[in-house]
Amino acid sequence: MSNTPLVQMIGIEKHFGGVRAVDHVSLDLYPGEVVGVLGHNGAGKSCLMRILAGAMLPNEGEIRVGGKTVTFADPNDAREAGIETIYQTLALADHLDAPSNLFLGRELKTRFGNLDDARMLEESRKVLARLNPNFKNLSDPVSSLSGGQRQVIAIARAIYFDTRVLIMDEPTAALGPSETAMVSDLIRQLRSEGIGILLVSHDMHDVFDLCDRVVVMNKGRLVGAHGIDEVTKDDVLSLIVKGELPADWSARNLEAAQ
Amino acid sequence: MSQAVKSASGGTSSPLASLMPDASKMHRLSALLTLVLLIIGFSLASQSFFSVNNGLTVLLQTSVIGLLGIGLTMVIITGGIDLSVGSVLALSGVASAMVIKAGLPVIPGMTFGVIVGAACGAINGLVVTRLRIPPFVATLGMMLMARGLALQLTGAAPISRLGDAFGVLGNGALFRVVEMQPNGFPKVIFPGIPYPAILLLLVAIAVAYMLRRRQIGRHIYATGSNEEAARLSGVRVDHTKLYAYVMSGALAGLAGNVLMSRLVTAQPSEGVMYELDAIAAAVIGGASLSGGVGTVSGTLIGAFIIGILRNGLNMAGVSAFIQQIVIGAVVIGAVWIDQIRARQ
Repeated sequence: MSNTPLVQMIGIEKHFGGVRAVDHVSLDLYPGEVVGVLGHNGAGKSCLMRILAGAMLPNEGEIRVGGKTVTFADPNDAREAGIETIYQTLALADHLDAPSNLFLGRELKTRFGNLDDARMLEESRKVLARLNPNFKNLSDPVSSLSGGQRQVIAIARAIYFDTRVLIMDEPTAALGPSETAMVSDLIRQLRSEGIGILLVSHDMHDVFDLCDRVVVMNKGRLVGAHGIDEVTKDDVLSLIVKGELPADWSARNLEAAQ
Repeated sequence: MSQAVKSASGGTSSPLASLMPDASKMHRLSALLTLVLLIIGFSLASQSFFSVNNGLTVLLQTSVIGLLGIGLTMVIITGGIDLSVGSVLALSGVASAMVIKAGLPVIPGMTFGVIVGAACGAINGLVVTRLRIPPFVATLGMMLMARGLALQLTGAAPISRLGDAFGVLGNGALFRVVEMQPNGFPKVIFPGIPYPAILLLLVAIAVAYMLRRRQIGRHIYATGSNEEAARLSGVRVDHTKLYAYVMSGALAGLAGNVLMSRLVTAQPSEGVMYELDAIAAAVIGGASLSGGVGTVSGTLIGAFIIGILRNGLNMAGVSAFIQQIVIGAVVIGAVWIDQIRARQ
């Protein structure tokens, strides 16, 4: 872990009418670090992730990338800063084929400015084969593909480009066991390449298996940020449900330190 | 959708699969078959239907609906609709005629008319993307405003005596061979290819290229397929929609100039209900009103189906009222077949 965070979110606030969806949240992410982002539905974690992805503007707060303050007016700004997002909805255009989706918004072009479909197909074949060797339906509209294949396209799109920060929103929710294992392997591999990953997940097993740290949100506030070996699953559950650690946590941790 | 890629890699799965056309090709194929059957049917019903002269008449009539339909196809693929094209056609034609009447040469004058059409399209696009008004309502408003403006500017009277040059676009033809007979009357040996038909072909090729081979075309499909996904992928969806509406307006302006030139008169009341024929052409050609699907070639086939239906029913002596009933039924039938296929 290096000392400069890849990304710093400082004092982020977002409200809708009177509702504070994100209430003064600060979060750092370092290179080669997997941080689990947990919380109930509606706790504000998706909202926070959308702000970092450039899909939503915060009302207050600052985002720094590599120490420099940035403003993400739209998702393109975030992607240019190396922040890629895999949305839970996958965000695929159903009528387009896999290469068109993979390169959507960043199409490869020939010298004359035409779409270079041949090269996009070739590149897609390479990156998809790395994730799923059985992926063959490259020229079918993605609406005709299985949930796992669609997920693979969404992942491929996020790692193909020069990615430094990866936001994964429930990346394994639609997947079977072997595909889930593939995603876990991929996360470890990306971490070893120095990419910072924010993993939004409900799966406590995945979180404890993959993450270096966990942050927990409750009612828009950040109620806990801990190294994965400082807390147990019960501690994290307590943070999610009650917004605070169990009463005996500090005593236990003191014992462990001694 | 990358058609080129599709056909190139069709053979990877199985030999049979490569022979099976995909859904959108299937739709166009069935529309094409309908077109051929119509031509055969009308030829049997009326001897004068299948003649060079009537063929040219159909070509001329279809070119206006075809131009409107191609513009609408772009808007429909983005998931929108443009109800204003019939009125914009009239306003553009009137605008061209007025500046030409005021002394501007024909080519800059007609260009001005097309720009007026594009401006109407730009207003449509801005109302849809900035004011967040649904396309149906935004373009319905423009339909009334453009028609009202055309009638107001002209006092509801046609503008005539526009000079021979004004009529060239609508009445001229390439490779026309005319021979002067001894009695002093010209005899047309070969009527030539009408300019409107050439214009339609050029526009069709240009728009098909744009939709298939250019980034903006890909973004038009993506926007209509899943607007939120397109936005999150970095597609500027507002810009893409605006582009589609401007193109639709400009092509309506072009169609207006063709039509007024054909009549050598600018009629502010021309083109009423043309938008419905153009929408029907796109839908018959396989464009989906829920967005993401549609092709220029399909819309062209649809435009010819409507043109030939109208012409053939005329030649067969069917009343204009019955024609409306038939075309209405055809549109419903085409969408119904599409729905059945989509459910399979």
